[in-house]
Order: sequence, then structure tokens, then C-alpha cells
Amino acid sequence: MLRPNLTAALLGAALLLPSGPAGAQLVILPAPRLLTMMPMGAQAGATLEVTIVGENIDEDPQLVFSSSKITAQPKMDAAGAVVKNQFVLKVAGDAPAGLVEARLMTRLGISSARCFTVGTLPEITRQKPNTSLETALPLASNSVCNAFTTSKSVDFYSFTASKGQRLLMDCATTGIDSRLTPVLIVTDAQGRDLLAERRTGFIDFNAPTDGKYFLKVHGLTYQGGQEHFYRLALTEIQKDKPVTRQASTLGVGSASLPTVDPTLTPWINEIEPNNSAAQAQKITLPCAIRGAFATAGDVDTYEFEAKKGEVWWVETVSSRLGLPTDPFVLVQKVTKSPKGETLTDVAELNDITSPVKLSSNGYAYDGVPYDVGSPDALGKFEVKEDGVYRLQIRDLFGGTRSDAGNIYQLLLRKASPDFSLVAWAMHMELRNGDRANLSKPIALRGGATMAFDVVALRKDGFDGDIELGVDNLPPGVTTTGLRIPAGKSQGTLLVTAAENAPRGVSIARVFGRAKINGTDTQRNCPTASMAWPVKDHTNEVPAPRLIADVPVSVGGSELAPLTITAGDQPVWEAAAGSKLKIPLKLLWRGDFSGGPVKLKPLGADFAALPAFDVPSKAASSELVIDLAVLKTQTGDYVLALHGGVVSKYSYNPGAVKTVEVQQQEADKKAAEAAAELQKLVDSVKTVPAEKAAETEAAAKAAAERMKAAEAAKTEAAKRMKTVTDTAAPKDIVDIVVSEAIHIRVKPAEAK
Amino acid sequence: MRFLRLFALVVSASFASPPPARAEEANSLSFVNDVAPILTKAGCNSGACHAKAGSGQNGFRLSLFGFEPQEDFEHIVKEGRGRRIFPAAPERSLLLLKATNATPHGGGKKIDTGSDSYKIVARWIAQGMVYSPGDAPSIASLEVAPARGTLAMKAQQQLKVTARYSDGSTRDVTRLALFEANDKNMAEASETGLVKISDIPGNVAVMIRYQGMVSTYNASIPLGAPVENLPKSRNFVDDLVFGNLKRLGIPPSEVCDDSTFLRRASIDIAGHPPTFEETRAFLADASPNKREALVESLLSSPGYADYFANKWAALLRNKRLDKGTPASFAFHSWLRDGLLANRPYDTMVRELLAATGAAVSNPPVAWYNQVKTPEQQLEDVAQLFMGVRMNCAQCHHHPFERWSQQDYYGLSAFFSQIGRRPTAIAGQSVIFHKRGVAVAENKKTKASVKPAGLGSPSFEIPPDDDPRLVLADWMSAKTNPFFAKSLVNRYWKHFFNRGLVEPEDDIRDTNPPSNPELLDALSKHFTESNFDLKAVVRVLANSAAYQLAAAPNSYNAADRQNFSHYYPKRLNAEVLLDAVDQLTGASTDFADLPAGTRAIALPDNSYNKSSYFLSVFGRPEGDSVCECERIQSSNLSQSLHLMNAAEVKTKLSKTEGRAARLAKATDDSGNLHELYNAALCRAPKEPELQTALAYLAKPRTDAQGKALDPALARKAAYEDLLWAVINTKEFLFNH
Repeated sequence: MLRPNLTAALLGAALLLPSGPAGAQLVILPAPRLLTMMPMGAQAGATLEVTIVGENIDEDPQLVFSSSKITAQPKMDAAGAVVKNQFVLKVAGDAPAGLVEARLMTRLGISSARCFTVGTLPEITRQKPNTSLETALPLASNSVCNAFTTSKSVDFYSFTASKGQRLLMDCATTGIDSRLTPVLIVTDAQGRDLLAERRTGFIDFNAPTDGKYFLKVHGLTYQGGQEHFYRLALTEIQKDKPVTRQASTLGVGSASLPTVDPTLTPWINEIEPNNSAAQAQKITLPCAIRGAFATAGDVDTYEFEAKKGEVWWVETVSSRLGLPTDPFVLVQKVTKSPKGETLTDVAELNDITSPVKLSSNGYAYDGVPYDVGSPDALGKFEVKEDGVYRLQIRDLFGGTRSDAGNIYQLLLRKASPDFSLVAWAMHMELRNGDRANLSKPIALRGGATMAFDVVALRKDGFDGDIELGVDNLPPGVTTTGLRIPAGKSQGTLLVTAAENAPRGVSIARVFGRAKINGTDTQRNCPTASMAWPVKDHTNEVPAPRLIADVPVSVGGSELAPLTITAGDQPVWEAAAGSKLKIPLKLLWRGDFSGGPVKLKPLGADFAALPAFDVPSKAASSELVIDLAVLKTQTGDYVLALHGGVVSKYSYNPGAVKTVEVQQQEADKKAAEAAAELQKLVDSVKTVPAEKAAETEAAAKAAAERMKAAEAAKTEAAKRMKTVTDTAAPKDIVDIVVSEAIHIRVKPAEAK
Repeated sequence: MRFLRLFALVVSASFASPPPARAEEANSLSFVNDVAPILTKAGCNSGACHAKAGSGQNGFRLSLFGFEPQEDFEHIVKEGRGRRIFPAAPERSLLLLKATNATPHGGGKKIDTGSDSYKIVARWIAQGMVYSPGDAPSIASLEVAPARGTLAMKAQQQLKVTARYSDGSTRDVTRLALFEANDKNMAEASETGLVKISDIPGNVAVMIRYQGMVSTYNASIPLGAPVENLPKSRNFVDDLVFGNLKRLGIPPSEVCDDSTFLRRASIDIAGHPPTFEETRAFLADASPNKREALVESLLSSPGYADYFANKWAALLRNKRLDKGTPASFAFHSWLRDGLLANRPYDTMVRELLAATGAAVSNPPVAWYNQVKTPEQQLEDVAQLFMGVRMNCAQCHHHPFERWSQQDYYGLSAFFSQIGRRPTAIAGQSVIFHKRGVAVAENKKTKASVKPAGLGSPSFEIPPDDDPRLVLADWMSAKTNPFFAKSLVNRYWKHFFNRGLVEPEDDIRDTNPPSNPELLDALSKHFTESNFDLKAVVRVLANSAAYQLAAAPNSYNAADRQNFSHYYPKRLNAEVLLDAVDQLTGASTDFADLPAGTRAIALPDNSYNKSSYFLSVFGRPEGDSVCECERIQSSNLSQSLHLMNAAEVKTKLSKTEGRAARLAKATDDSGNLHELYNAALCRAPKEPELQTALAYLAKPRTDAQGKALDPALARKAAYEDLLWAVINTKEFLFNH
């Protein structure tokens, strides 16, 4: 149902509906997604045009950025009409270099994000195909080229170098949301391969002679298409300067990166050689060490003294910086004797495992879909006796690899309890064979509640409750956090839009609060999302990443198919051990398929609540909580219910009406043009001779106009068919979450 | 009563004075030294009979070839309450009754009643079935006399086999030893050790086995023809090849002409025949060292990297596992880029063996996703990089070789600390070193085995060190007897179509090389070059031995072993497909690869499914570590495909293909000159030219009998000529 006060003129389809395998039920109601932007970066201070491709974005969305330094206006053509899917960007001169999220604000709300890089070098966008040596695109030193690969083809670039010149070729892809796995090959002037790099997308090239060279770029399996975009940077660098790569996004595991105050912790640099016991680097704890897994099989050994009873925490930071490393830490006690030394194992620290069960078998949703853990190590060792101890750190993936860029930070500290959080929109298996991994922007429909899983990584033994909350929501949107109880690692956030919430968007802040050592501590909670809406994860590997900010929006154009609320009371009270019956109100909008909706509980406190069915279109139901069976203690709780509902969804039916009007207009105009032409043609026969030429010219012009009108009529008919087809009701199954239900359990009544 | 008397007889016999001592008889016969060899010689403990895996044959189990005499003793003497032996009347023992077929015996008569073997077994039973008397010596070595010899064709040589024992005593065991020639076409060895030479000149070896020991007799069979006019020796390969031919009296054929060398070297080094332009340039070049220059330019061409990456990818089992996983592309590219950059062989093997991480970021890991257990890993590594087939030794002592189960598990221990973690992609694991002491369990003795290289003492590897790196170090040490040898032998076979040791990955004492000095010299050259693969190709391709003509002279046609002439081989499936494309001006479209990608550059096995051409010509699936998986034999399907397939017709008739282009040019003589040069690297001979010109001049009609448009007729005629050339042996073979 459309809001009558919509101002945007809805012209119809520039959209793609999520399409599952033919015949299978569709999953997830359409959400707007920004899929590609070309170019996907710009130099600070530049003004440029970009072309976007999106999903479910309809006509004239707004392009918005997470930084106020970049503004976008729709591109206008010569006649003053909006050019679809094209925008003019202005990047402020003082925009900081780095990644920025780009999104579209559409009829349905705010879309998923795409990376936009603000750079410091001049940029070009590849315009003409460059898939052969002859059509190679010349690349100037210290510039960036935005392009995408073509399937089963190779992109050719040419550059000149002088002997001994050091050039860096950096092809940013997966780090900026691209699907491309790039291969870079430098060739000589005849196109013969000199140097190939297929793992890192990066070549550090020392030109052997003066002359012209070519650079080939293609996908590892020759994949191509607009989704396989890349930013190719060619920079000149001095011989011994360290290499910096283009900015890239972070994986979900990086949310647990520690915030280490550089002024508080004593920092030490690793001193090689320190591979063997005899060369162990002497340190005192606590400290923070900067080192590198520079050579193949590198083992860095550190020696220190410790006293009985001390407990030290060790954390490595390497993989979470985006490096392909897997640090492993071994702590041993050294006992020296006349015969030599004996080593006793004290602790082995390996990966940070996910604190909650991960989805098995790819993304079967029998667990969470995102891994908050990482290959970095975090753990403790207890000192049982005074003495000398040795710590070895090595890269488990570095046995045959020498790369000075594989750095690590080794943090050795006394317990500093803390936690980090990551949130993501809840995923659920919605039908048999559901293999979709779609990104879920927070584009709320009126009356909808969206649930977010929040996972906490507890550090250094922190074990308290964590309360969850959200700030700065748009009007009409409320939130309830289901806390993460002590000893547990998963909680839920509910975000609800009222039925009459107005259209709007704001950048929200998600956080967690806990008492650490008596102090109230608040930690920011970033969100994770899929970079790409994967329809079938057996064919494509999903690519999750952290999102820089949390925009929450209400589309204002549609209402949720089903809203579930718990009666009228703000809090439901019951005595411990009794049966609590909560009436549920269900508001069904539209048509539905499928049988009853099975509702299950959300939240750790009521995880054992049995699921129950609600018949389709039932206006009310009852939630029965047997506090005796659940053994719930006295206290305040929040609960929500969730399930899957199959609604008959019609995409943008309003567009049908609008296009119908346009089609009628076009038909009318075509008829008028035809009539006018006929009149002129007739009059040519009857008009006097001196007017003949004039009339004929007029007739010709009229014929042209009629042709144009006919074309417009066909166009309108085509558009009408498209919007009608897309508006045809389809069965779509999606998650439905009830609004938060507040419960208070009072002490049992005295008998 | 009778029984008691018999018993008394036995008892008294054991107190009687011993029989007169002969050289072969101790006071007490030993099962280990005296009876077990009889069982082996008679074939009782062969894999087909009582040593069958599982429970032996009909309830009676022996160890294979008597490798476990303790077990055999228990089964014979103690199993079934000793029902197999009857000391009171040895000749009534089931063991002897069955062996002589006096009682129905599935194996028939294995020994004769009254033979020496029979008497020894009977006396052993009568003596009370001693396993091994306290002072009995154990076998130390086996010698054969003569150890080597030069024999004329059709000659015979009786061998004498002597066992030497730990106490210094010797025994003639010719009667009980097993004899087997390694090339049955060249020689046959009888049961009694009589070697009969047939009529093929060369070197042949006879393997002799007795009581778990092996020895070899090497025979050289000269042809005896006059060897004058040897081609000029260009490097040490020639010195040693021609030296061998001189010794054997086998005169080599002449050095081949430029056309032949050009085509042969281009195919063997770069995997494709030369183009017309390249042919023209080479044949016109008058410089004296143009052949060396050609070898250099082929080595620096991308074709070399593609062709050898293709060879190694199949051996390293680079199979496409799943949709959406680029691991097979990444692995193939790692091989190809390494060959292009000429990275040292030992570095690449080291990176493969000790690979850690995920397949896309570290491609050699893909090998561990195909070869998943320590047994598979060690067997592949041994066969591929050491030329040793260890498979048999998993369950028992290797029958033809000195490797035991202990050696097998010593190798497997290097792979005992491999950790795996699943990734988001099904079937792809992350590989890392699991901290811990590397150790394996010998499945036979249940004892733990430390990691040990073949024939080397075991290593004490600290738990933090990756044992695979220790294995890589051991293999690439300059003194390692297998690593370099197996690579040069493999590459020798690549160029000469027969290894110096054949099969190329079955190097063992009992399968000696046909030219041991040459193999040693090549290994040394390879090691000293720091494992430079291009250096190996260079020294082989630049030798005169490689450049001999394929046509035999009047003497050396029978030689299949000493490289007196070039042994032709059929083009590989990929090379043939590319050659057809190159000749016809067509191309084959492969999924997920840019247009114009050659078949030799295909990254994995999945293209066999989509290309019938490749599978019918034997492109391997990558299921095996043996190059024999590639089927090089000829069959009818191949001929039919080349003659009739729609695919071939489409290539011939491609618009703007070679046939179309030649048809448009009016100079037929020049056209034919190009056609023959492009296909066969030579000009057409006069009769060929005349036949082709006549064919072109013939008028052609369509199916209804109407005269065909002359332009179309010309194009069809050229297509036919191309088709005819493609179907000649000269095109299909590398000669």
C-alpha cells in the first residue's frame, strides 16, 4: 500500500527482483542494494560523473556517502531531465584519503553499501575496451585507473619505465568489495611475460631496462563483468621506502582489534636474529613488540623472567590487520642445568575461536553466519614458579614464504578485561534448500521489526553482563536490546518501525555497556554484512566484511506483511514458577500462502521455550511461558518471537498506475500525431501548387513526429509490461519478528 | 602299541649320532635358513596362493615370499594343534602330502617326493621342527657369479648364487633362488638359473631373490657391428651414449636434417610445431649454431612453461574439485610461473612439500587437498620425486627391493604432523604444521617409527619444526641418491621416449639403468647446476644423440634401449589439438579461458569432459602420479575422429582459415609449399606436389552432379588436402 504523500514520481522499473532457482520459492522481501559504481573512487578535490547499478532501487534514488565531504547530485541531460543511474559527485579538497561507504536512499529505504575510495592521485576511468596489446590503455605514473574485467579476456595497460626505476602496481579488488581475484602480469614491449603475480594483486617492479612495458590484468579464472571491478594504481617509489597498499575493508574478525594506547604501553622493536634459543631477545613484561615474519620459517624468540603466581595475557595482532598470516605462540619454562637446558611447555596459543557456534556446511544457519574469531592468538599463561621463560611466535602459514610485509604486534599484559562486539542482521533458513546469503540493509517497512545477532568477544577473562542499545534512530523507530548475560556470548537487538513511521534515515550508533572492574564501560558495536547478495552459496563464496557505519531508515512506501505485538501492557508480570499467558495481537496485511507460522523464541533467557504455531491470518494467539519448566529466576527480561512467513508480495504496484497514465498519454499523442499527418497528407492533394512544397515539408516533419510518437508509444507499452510483471504478486518468504515483550518475574507467592 | 614304538624310535633317533655332516647340513636344520627358502622356491608363499592378503588360501596363511618366517613357523607348526606336521612319521605330514599332491591340493604338485627339497623338509620335521638353532647364522648377503658378462645373441649363461651368512659360512643356493629378467624380450632365466639370451642387442638384468635378499646379474649383449663414423660429440651425453653404442657394437643412425630437428625440438620443448614463418626462417638460416639458438629461443618462449606445467600438473593431481573454486587455476599458474621464471626445482619441491595456508593464497596447498592421507602423500612423493614405488611396502617387505615396512612408515612419519582446518569452500582445507613430535606407527610391529629418509638414519625432529621441511632438505641434499636421478631420468624419457631406467619412476637395484654412467653424469650435472631445469633440457636437446634420425640403419633397427636412433612417438593429445588448430587456422574454445588459449595451457583435467578430442587421444585425468596414465597407444576411435569428426571438419572449413586463405591465392605451387611447410616443416616432394596439383585441377561436382562454383571447389580441395595431411603418420608423430 502506498503512502499518498510520496513526492517522487514513480516511473517504473529499473530493478531486479531477487530470483531464486526457477520454481523455488523466493526468499527475503526486496531490499535496496547498491551493486556497482563506476568509477569507485576519486581524487580529493575532484568533480566527476559516476554510473551505478543497483537492485530494487527504482527510479531516481539519492546517492549518499558516509562522509559529508562527498556530495552527489543526479546528472541532468541537455533537456534538463534526470539521466537514470548517473550522478555528479563533488569531492571536497580536504576529504581525508581512505574508504567511504556509498549508499542509495530509495523508495524502500537505505541500500546496502559500496566502497568508495578517496585517493590522493589523479584518476581515470577506462572508457574503450583494452583487451589486446594494440588497444592497450596507457597508464601514467602516479595515477589510478578504474575499470572492470571482461569475461574470458585480458585487460592491457602500457607504461614506460627507465632502468632501475621502482614502480608499484597495486590492483585493489576484494578489499573494495569487488568479486575479482586479480592476476597481474608485467610483459616486455613484445608482450612476452616477465613477471606474474596471482596471490596479492600487487607487484613491486624494478625495471631492468629503459623502455615500454605492458601490464596485463585479468581474473584468476578469467571472470569478468561489472561486478569484477578494480582500481589499478601505478606509483613510483624510492628504492628503500616501505610499501603502502590501497585502502581496503576489514573482515569480521577485525572487530576485535585491540585499542592499545601507544603512550601507555612500552613498545619494543623486534631485533633479528632471534630464531634460536641462544639468540632469544630479552624483554621485560608488560610490553608490546613490533615484529615481522620476514623470512620463510621465521621463528621469533623472546626471553623474560616471571614470578610465581603471575598471570600474563598474550595477544597477537597480525591477521586482523588484513594480512595472510596465522600467528602461533608457544610459551615454555627454561630450566638451565650443567648438562644444558630443559624446556617445559607452559602454554600454546592458537587462533581466537568464534565464541558462538558457527554455521556448518558453509551457511546452513545452524549457527551464526559470521566468524568473530580470527587466526590471531589471544590467551593467557600462568606462572607456576619463579624463573626464566621463553616465548616463541611463528607464522603457521609462513614455512615457505618470505615477505617483509607480514608484520605482527605482540602484546604482553596483565589481565585487562574488556569485550568487543559485532552485530549483523539475523539470518535464518527460510525454506528447504535455502542457500541465499543476502546483504540486509536496515530499510524498514512500517510495522516491521528487524532482529540483529550481537556477538561478544570477551577478553582477558571479562565475564559480566553486557547491555545492548542503539542511539540516534530516525523518528518512529525504537529499539530494544536483549542483553548478553554473564558467561554467554550472544545477544539480540530488536529495531522496530511504527506502522506510521515517516520516511527518513539517520546514522545510528550501536553500543554495548558493561561494568568492568566497577567502571561503566561502553564499546561501539560495528555491523557486518555480505559484500554481495549471494543467491546460492554453493556456487559463489560469500564475502562478509565490517561496515563503517549503521544507517537506519524507514522507506515510508510499504508496510511489513505481519506485525506481532504482545497485548497492551508494557510489562507482563508473573510469579516465579507460575504459567504466564501473554495474548498476542497479529496484524496481517495483504495475502499469504503457506500454512501456519511457527514462532520460536529469541534471546538466551528463554531459549528453551517450545515453538508454537499460529494459523495463517489469525488475528490473535497466546504465548504461554511455563516459568516452572524454564526455571526462570526473578528479574526483568525481554523476549521476542520469530518465524518465517510467506506473503504474496507485489513489487511497487504504484508504478503500474503511474505508467498506465503515461501509456495513455503516449497513446493519445501517437493518435494525434497520426491524425495530424493524415490531415497534412490529404491537404497535399488539395492545396494550391505554390503551397505544395511547404505542405509536403510539413507533412514530412509530421511523419517524423509520428514516428517518434509511435516509438514512445511502444516504449510506454514495454514499460507497462515490465512494471506489471514485476508487480505481479509472488510468494516470498521472509523472517518475521515480534516486537519486544517485557516480562517481570516476581518472587513466588508464599503458600 | 605301534604308536608307542614309533615314539620310541623318534626319541632314540634324537639321541643317535648325527648323520655325516655335509656343507649344507648343520646338526639341526633351521626353518629360517633351510625350510623357508624351499617354500619360496616352490611358490607356496606367493601372492596368488597362501600369501594372499587376508587369510591366505583355504585356511593356510604364509607371509609373502617368506618375509616373516616367525609367523610362517607358527602357522605351520602350531596352528590347528599342529595338524600340519607329524614328527612321528614325517612323510605323513599334511605339509608334505599336500606339497606332493598325495592329498588333493589346489596348487597341484609343488615338489617331488624324494627330491632334495622333500628330504630336507622331512628331516626338519623329524628333528622336531626347530625354528632356528641357537647358533644358526643369519643370511647377510647374496652374491651371483658371474655378476656381469658380455654374451653373444642366442648365448646361454648358467648363474651360480651363493648366500653368505653372518658367521662367514657360504652356501650354494642356486637351486632354491628365484630368477627374473627385467626385459623378457631380451633374455629369459630358467628356474635353475640358466639365462638364455634372445636376439635383441643391449643391456639386460636378471634379478635373483633368495630369503629376502636380492642380487642382480647384468648382461651386455653386443650386436658386434662395426661402429665407425660416429656423429661429432657435442657434450658429455654424447660421449656416454656413443661410448655405450661402441661397446655394444651398435652403429647409430645419422644426425637428422634441419626440418626434422626443428619440428622435433619445437614439439618436445615448447609443445607445438613451428609456424610456417618460423620454419621458413630456420631453414633459410645459415649460421652454424642455429640449432643451439633454436633451443634457447624455445626455452624462453611461453610454450615451454605451458607445456611442462601441463606435464607436472597432471602428475601433481591438479583436478578441478568444485564449481567456484579457483584452486586448480592457481595451482597450475604457480607451476607455470615457476617454470617461466626458471625457479630451481628443489625450491619448487620444497614449497610444495611444506605448503601451508589456503590454496588461493598459497597454491601448492592445493596438492594437499587432493592427496589427503600420509600414505598417499609419501607414495606420491616417493614415486614422483625419488622414482621409488613404495606402495607395496605398506603391508610387507617390498618384494623386489630393499625397502621394508619400516622404511615405508619412516617416510610416512614426515607427514604425521599436518593439521587441517575447513574453509568456507567445501573440499578446501587450510594446511598448517601441528605442533608435536613427528612419529608414525608401523602397522605390522605396532612400534613407533621416527621420520627417516630412504636408506638414511632417522631424524630427531623437535615438535616445533615442520618435518616436511626436514624431508625437503634431505631430498635436495647434493648427496641424495634419488632426487636428481629421478628428475633427469624423467626428462630423459620426455625427450628420448624411453627412460634410462624404464619405467621412469621405478628406480631400484633390480631394475638397473641401461647406461649407469650416463645416468650418474646427468644427475651430477643437474645437482651442480643448482637444480636448473632449463639446463637439463639444454644439455639433452643440444646433444647429437637427441638429434639422430628416426630411420634405423641396417644394423640398429632392433635396438629399443640404447638410443642408436630416435624412437618416434605419437603427439600428445593437447599438442595434436593445437597442431591441428595451428595448421587449419582455427581455434578451440575452452570454458572460462580467453579465446585462443592453447590446449597445452589448459589448467586442469576438467576439459577432458568437454573435449572428446582430448579424451580420445588420452589426456590424463590427473588420477595418478604415473605418466603412464596418459594413453599414448593408438586405437580406432582416434583414427575415426580425425577422419570423420564434425569438429575436425569445422576447423578445416573455417572462414579465413588456412584452407580459405590458400584457396584465394592463385599460386598453387606456392600454396602447397606453405601447406607442407606449415604441417611437416618441409617442402613437398616432387611426386607429392604433382599429386596435389592434379587434385586441385580436378573439376568438382556437388551431390546432385552439378558443377560446383570454382571458388568453392578450390576451397573444398584445399580442405581435403589439409585433411589428408593431418591424417598422415608424419603429421601425427614426432619423428
